[in-house]
Amino acid sequence: MNRLASIPFVALLWREVLENRTLFIWAPVMLALVLFVFAAWLISMAPNDQVSISIQYLSEIFDGLSPLEIAPILMILAVPFMVILYVCALIYLLGALYQDRKDLSVLFWQSMPISNATTVLSKVVTVAAVAPFFSVTVLLVFYTLALLCLTLLGVAYEVQVAGLGYLFLAALTSLILVYLSAFTATLWLMPTVGWLLLFSAFARRAPFLWAAGVFILIGFLEDFLFGSQYLANWVESRANPNQYLIYNLSDVTERMFSYDMLFGVLVGSILLLGAIFMRRFID
Amino acid sequence: MNTIVEANRLEKHYGGFKALSGVSMSIPQGEITGLIGPNGAGKTTTLKAMIGLCDVEGELSVAGRDPRIARHQLMHDVCFIADVGILPKWLRVNQLLDYVDAVHPRFDRNRATKFLGSTEIPPRKRIRELSKGMVTQLHLAIVMAIDVKLLILDEPTLGLDIVYRKEFYDRLLNDYYVGNRTIVISTHQVEEIEALLTHLLFINRGKIVLDAHMSELETLFTEVIVKPDQLTQADGLGPIHKRELLGKKAYIYEAVPRAQLEHLGEVGTPSVADLFVAKMKEGSSVNPLSDSMKSSNDE
Amino acid sequence: MSLLKSILLRNRFTILLATLSLYMLVLVMEGALTGREARVIDFENPFFDLNIRDFEDFQDSQRNEDDKDFLTDESTIL
Repeated sequence: MNRLASIPFVALLWREVLENRTLFIWAPVMLALVLFVFAAWLISMAPNDQVSISIQYLSEIFDGLSPLEIAPILMILAVPFMVILYVCALIYLLGALYQDRKDLSVLFWQSMPISNATTVLSKVVTVAAVAPFFSVTVLLVFYTLALLCLTLLGVAYEVQVAGLGYLFLAALTSLILVYLSAFTATLWLMPTVGWLLLFSAFARRAPFLWAAGVFILIGFLEDFLFGSQYLANWVESRANPNQYLIYNLSDVTERMFSYDMLFGVLVGSILLLGAIFMRRFID
Repeated sequence: MNTIVEANRLEKHYGGFKALSGVSMSIPQGEITGLIGPNGAGKTTTLKAMIGLCDVEGELSVAGRDPRIARHQLMHDVCFIADVGILPKWLRVNQLLDYVDAVHPRFDRNRATKFLGSTEIPPRKRIRELSKGMVTQLHLAIVMAIDVKLLILDEPTLGLDIVYRKEFYDRLLNDYYVGNRTIVISTHQVEEIEALLTHLLFINRGKIVLDAHMSELETLFTEVIVKPDQLTQADGLGPIHKRELLGKKAYIYEAVPRAQLEHLGEVGTPSVADLFVAKMKEGSSVNPLSDSMKSSNDE
Repeated sequence: MSLLKSILLRNRFTILLATLSLYMLVLVMEGALTGREARVIDFENPFFDLNIRDFEDFQDSQRNEDDKDFLTDESTIL
């Protein structure tokens, strides 16, 4: 751990985690707690025989099925966590190059030998790889506890629970898919990430209003002045989550290297470049 | 003499406000330079420009680099402490040390820990829980453990009580100022650092109004406690500043040979504080001497 | 070139303008070249047509097709 933490870029990522632990760690933990309590309440309300039949059913339907095949459908369980992750990522990106200017700590960060490009890159990597890691870790703990409770309940009601093992393996596999999906989502949404970081670096106050306002303004101006809707078409043509979510491990290369993906990353990089140059004007 | 900072006609506008209007200066290596000026004179802007934290127009070179395009390389050689607590408030003390340790190749963690050991700063505390004096101590401990050529301090002791202030400068002088290190301190409280400085820069309204080595002051400036009967003659020689001193009058002259002044009264070298007041007043009114002052600056 | 650079990098507003202009330029050019339109995604994954009441049937069909790829080629986007 110490060896790893002494790599400058890892220290930058760790810094992001420490500053945003509410967004990256506590938000999914709270969600998991709420869901857990809700599920426990449901089970306690249901009649005993219904609970035991449900557990048996859960155990039987997945029995013998390959976890790889069940995993995609179990991704549905992670949807609330993905939504929370998106919202937290949005909040994080809008504050990433804004908050430190507001509390003046930017003077300290900028007095360290770290280039603006590295700083901005660390924010992108945080969203792409670090924040999803915490979501998935919370989900892992959540799934384990849930399966443990189901198993104990099943044993108490004396139903066959061996099949739950398949469910658990499938749940674990689905977490890999969730993590990979969150990663490809960031790449696919690089134009959005770049846009948010650009305005995070630009705004002296209310970065969200700037980011949303300028977007609407440009779309409106384009339509009004040229009668074209390239910006709207662009957004609409890539607004479907099925374009970037990964439902199968064999999807990965196809998703990562499709034309639309690579072009999106290119266009997003223009905005990131803007954010990097913008970082020179912190006063 | 080697210089570590060279600035030529630096300009900076904030909207209609001209923060710097042609700052030219050179800061010698291995000296403690005081950048002294009233509030809003352009001290902070100048210092921030020197480390690439603010974009200015004009020629600027720090430790052989242009801070505007090579800030992060420059930061291997330069450290900075600002007037306000700029350490991130949400970090813990030891987390901050971890961060600097990972990021700065010239940081000596043991040295920083040793400095912190002599203070009352608890290593597990968050920075927001520390007093302002402790935050400054902490920042100084970090900076002193980084082996750099140039240390820039922007009003480092602003808002601290006398005990912390005194300790801060003692530390700086005894533990840090060794070898060929250069320190630049900005302040508007001259008295406090007068004894420390070896080089003086006065700044007012975005311009450098004095750039002199401490040893040059004696030849450049003369303070005369004028005898009552010599007042008219003393006025005739064009003092840059006059003030009352226990019922007597003290005049300060610039670039007037001492031989010409000795018969007016008791002759001496003005204190930096008095000189500061004189120079600041000079800029605020139309003064026939301003031309000669300018030429002495250019030398 | 350096003149252009000094104008574009003059302050945060010029950087914003330059970045957004370049961004729109690339978007419009690509949009015009490829005739980009909102793409209708025809996404087919057997698991998403699943009706939980028929799960046993579905399970059987999956077991029978175990050696086949369960994602059909039509699930490919574009």
